[in-house]
Amino acid sequence: MTIAQQQTQPGFALLTNWARPKTRAENSPRVLIPQTLEQIKRLLLRWRRDQTMVILTLAVPIFFLLTLNTVLGQRISQITGHSALSGSVPMIAVVAAITGSSAGAVALMRERADGLLSRLWVLPIHRASGGLSRLAAEAIRVFVTTVLILCAGMLLGFRFHQGPLAALAWLMIPVIFGVAFATLVTTVAFYSAGRPSQPGTTLVEGIALISTLGFFFCTGFVPLQQYPRWIQPAVEHQPMSYAIEAMRGLSQGGPVAWPMTATLLWAGGTLAVCVVPMVLGYRKASTR
Amino acid sequence: MTAAIALRPEPSALQQWWVLTVRSIAPTLRNGETATAVAASVIFTAGFYIPLKDFMGAATQGIASSYGQYLTPLIALQGISFASISGAFRAATDSAAGINRRFGSMPIAALTPAAARMSANMYRCVVGLVIALICGHAIGFRFHRGPLYIVGFCLLVLLVGLALSSLFDLIGTRAKNPEATTPLLMLPQLIFGLISVGVQPAEQFPGWIQPIVRNQPISQFIYALRALAGDTTAAVSSPTWSVMTPTYLWILGLFAIAVPMSAVSASRRP
Amino acid sequence: MADKSVIVDRISKSFGTVQALRGISFEVGQGEVVGLLGPNGAGKTTTVDILSTLTRPDEGCAIVAGHDVVTDPAGVRRSITLTGQQVAVDEMLTGYENLVMFGRLQGLGKSAARTRATELIRSFDLVDAANRRVGTYSGGMRRRIDIGCGLVVRPEVVFLDEPTTGLDPRSRKSIWDLVTRFKEAGIATLLTTQYLEEADALSDRIIVIDHGIVIAEGTADELKERTGGNYCEIVPRDVNDLPAMVDVLSALLPERNRAALTVSSDRIAMPAPNGATTLVEAVWRLDAAKIELADVALRRPSLDEVFLSLTKDSSQTSVPDRPATSVPS
Repeated sequence: MTIAQQQTQPGFALLTNWARPKTRAENSPRVLIPQTLEQIKRLLLRWRRDQTMVILTLAVPIFFLLTLNTVLGQRISQITGHSALSGSVPMIAVVAAITGSSAGAVALMRERADGLLSRLWVLPIHRASGGLSRLAAEAIRVFVTTVLILCAGMLLGFRFHQGPLAALAWLMIPVIFGVAFATLVTTVAFYSAGRPSQPGTTLVEGIALISTLGFFFCTGFVPLQQYPRWIQPAVEHQPMSYAIEAMRGLSQGGPVAWPMTATLLWAGGTLAVCVVPMVLGYRKASTR
Repeated sequence: MTAAIALRPEPSALQQWWVLTVRSIAPTLRNGETATAVAASVIFTAGFYIPLKDFMGAATQGIASSYGQYLTPLIALQGISFASISGAFRAATDSAAGINRRFGSMPIAALTPAAARMSANMYRCVVGLVIALICGHAIGFRFHRGPLYIVGFCLLVLLVGLALSSLFDLIGTRAKNPEATTPLLMLPQLIFGLISVGVQPAEQFPGWIQPIVRNQPISQFIYALRALAGDTTAAVSSPTWSVMTPTYLWILGLFAIAVPMSAVSASRRP
Repeated sequence: MADKSVIVDRISKSFGTVQALRGISFEVGQGEVVGLLGPNGAGKTTTVDILSTLTRPDEGCAIVAGHDVVTDPAGVRRSITLTGQQVAVDEMLTGYENLVMFGRLQGLGKSAARTRATELIRSFDLVDAANRRVGTYSGGMRRRIDIGCGLVVRPEVVFLDEPTTGLDPRSRKSIWDLVTRFKEAGIATLLTTQYLEEADALSDRIIVIDHGIVIAEGTADELKERTGGNYCEIVPRDVNDLPAMVDVLSALLPERNRAALTVSSDRIAMPAPNGATTLVEAVWRLDAAKIELADVALRRPSLDEVFLSLTKDSSQTSVPDRPATSVPS
């Protein structure tokens, strides 16, 4: 076969036009950012295209907000003297973060079962870029859903009364909460999934049930005083309530320092406990 | 291989229906479906009762003797709605996994798998109802009319369950995406359940939505169920025709839509 | 050592109580295609896992493209492409997006990655499907995009783990062509497969492993020789001519073949050490004796027969009892 004939063979370009990448050490800090960004892009593309995820993390919370406000909004503002939205909008934002994180953990388990995690592990990329990209993508996702839920809330009458800086802090709280929760749920997923063939859907249902409980028993649902005396401490001190109260203080006014501190303590504590097992779990899930 | 191949027996539609029904029901105890149903009802009950008991106390006093009595019809409806969603998930899984195609190539009457799914759904609804009544009992719900009315209560719940599962099953089979089906169907359950008289009386809603609240089907079902259950207070309505008719009409309407569409969908061979 | 792409030296690996590899050793030279053959549970996939840094060996050492898998896994990863049994790309991204992503992750600039992706799409005949999600592709297309993602940057060693399982003949042929191209480009390939014809057609050398050790090694021809080599099969038109045939061919027919003939035999099988020459000799003799033949053929043992006989031998030699758990193969 002449060279000219060879050149028209399919696949010839394949094996002669090798692109030459710059070679760097695998774990050099210079490659961490671009490689992580590339993987974040992939994860966010997936989220945007996954119908289930979008319904679950956007449509359901927004409709829920509308419904809840219609049902309980009037009475709550009568009782507290303030708009009910100052509690319900943060609550919905936090619930959306939680639901999204657990759905994300299930998707991660499926990638493990499909062998994609191993494939990525075998690429010459920074060992930390995989885990880092997941947390970062999570943070971005929560931020976007929070903004969209905020828009829905504003359509219903939610307003910021404490200025733009407080509003910014308000937006960051679900992100902090969401990332900490994602660490927790991902760690649980890694260690409970067992055989790679079972993506661990029972995990999602379990988390969904617990977060539903959290939703019913937090201060964003009805004011604290409405709960029976015996359960008020549990309602008051659970992490969702703290996050909601911090956000309420930042939007409407009222104590911010203590709820914010408590939220950060919950988030920090969760991260501290889970981050090492999560990193080890990621490695274990990618290799054999 | 010299073993004689068994002669092909004549399949009996009844046997096929039973086998398919059992196939759908048998895993539910093992795979956690039943446990999830229990957990869902318990959380729903606790989650609405405990925070809202005092909140709603004054508002419901005119209508029911206790908030537990007030809330339980909605809990029962939630139970069968959840059961129908499980059934839809199952239908979507079967549809996506291709086993419906397999059945289509076997000597099984076109309606048999659909009928089997319906009977399996009824089983789930019965389980859901029982769990709901236990939860209701725990928060103070009691039946105040005779046994005939108790049967009527249960039958009504199951009838609504049948109508809902037909509809959801249709949606599940057509959608073919099991994971999207569940949140998709939970959304209307959420909205219809909350924007009804199940959680609070119609007067508590903003004026503009009160007509919707009063007249939507879930509210009608709840009025009917309250009438059948009876109560100690004088304000309770009795199950007269004026109370029950809208309910019957809604159920008939649901069946009128769901049944022909199911039949068409099941017998279609693309 | 410098010219060997893969060196495996007495690697052992256990998973709990199950010993997957028990001291396996082999080499792959540059531009060589080596087929790793073995039944399920033999240790093929474990070997590939170790060589691609997914698992660490318990004992022994392995060197891929000059990098030790234990002390320099990063170097190994820079030099290899792994294609596993399952298609491992992102199903929710399009084919094009997958290729760009793998390119970017391996250090290509944005435009270089895009150019390369377009080239690969053309080469793999995926132009119509490039902007559809991989989840919608057919089996053959998914395998093609899978391999494509591994070729965005030039590897020195390619690991193909059962690459044509479940593919139609056309797709299988295109992958075979690809492996030939690797050879031409000087890339070493380690191919695990259960399809013996595939190992036969593609490999320069075949390594047969079973129960975690190498039980045979050599070219396809060498392995076939081990189980008896070529033989002639001659079928007379009249079965009663058989004894006459035996007499005529007596010089070529060893005792054991003669002994193998029974009352119900309808043909003679005799070894053909000189291949076609022996065949011609036999036909000439029979023709001179005026014996009519119905069929005459030169047969080589298929690699199936080789494989079955080799693994049968290996299971009949003393192997320590293993628990009946399923070993990752």
